[in-house]
Amino acid sequence: MGLIDHKFEDNFITTNLDTVLNWARQSSLWPMGFGLACCAIEMMATGGPRFDSARFGAEVFRASPRQADLMIVAGTVTKKMAPVLRRLYDQMPEPKWVISMGSCSNAGGPFPTYSVLQGVDKVVPVDVYISGCPPRPEALLYGLMRLQDKIRKEGTVLRRERVIKAGQTEPILVEG
Amino acid sequence: MIHFLRKIFLVDLLKGLWLTLRYTPQPAFTFQYPKERRPTSPRFRGVLRLQLEPGTGAQTCIVCDQCAKACPDDLISLGGHREPGQKLKALDYFDFNLSRCSFCGLCAEVCPTKPVKALIMSEDYELGSYSRESQILRVDQMYDGVAIESYTR
Repeated sequence: MGLIDHKFEDNFITTNLDTVLNWARQSSLWPMGFGLACCAIEMMATGGPRFDSARFGAEVFRASPRQADLMIVAGTVTKKMAPVLRRLYDQMPEPKWVISMGSCSNAGGPFPTYSVLQGVDKVVPVDVYISGCPPRPEALLYGLMRLQDKIRKEGTVLRRERVIKAGQTEPILVEG
Repeated sequence: MIHFLRKIFLVDLLKGLWLTLRYTPQPAFTFQYPKERRPTSPRFRGVLRLQLEPGTGAQTCIVCDQCAKACPDDLISLGGHREPGQKLKALDYFDFNLSRCSFCGLCAEVCPTKPVKALIMSEDYELGSYSRESQILRVDQMYDGVAIESYTR
């Protein structure tokens, strides 16, 4: 995709192609299960039949980062784990997204200590933060839908990119 | 001989398939989440909310600062001022840092206002956000009824 990414102006063909590509991207998010603590249990429940993230095309938990689009960081990221997490993120092919699940990976949670990374956004760029300790499976599905919304608004072949300005919550589109 | 016949007629395989077939006609087990919400249990602790007095809409928080003291992670910061001649303080700001919250409920437990509790653990659990700044809830986002955007797709 590197050849056509953000290379085209708005016209009938490119906007429709963009819609189709974004639809394909949002509806087959293959997550890499990065289960680090108790949030991983809820993440497994989300993949199971009761909540069934297969309804959103996100059920194929890959063990290898090279086959994944989405990294769900579920649990406490220790400083020992942080370089490993960054390496696995670097090994994922573009396009890639990150969901930070739970208070621990959002901001360190109840562990303001020397050994715990105070927020996974210190090592990888996070797209959606889901609060909860742990979040319910429904909350993870909600976060997944927020991520799908975000992907739908992205410019894939169009010359525009989404940017979250400081102090704002929703991404806006700017000319890239 | 019996062992051999069992192998020929695939008895073990059919036994296993029979179990699969028995479970097949059951209705689907899946919750269609954005359409239907699973009822929360009565003591469920979702996101923290401020409550207004039901009939009058008056403020119930008396700015006693007990929730901020009870919070194990110091996530709540609130303040108010006293109008001249008024007995109760008016709430100026109530900042709640959701990003670290472990939903222990100690803040809502110590809230002394009666009969309407000012601070409650609500049933809202849909808490996705795009940035870390937006996880700090300000006072206008804290009142009950300001629902986080719901999905009806």
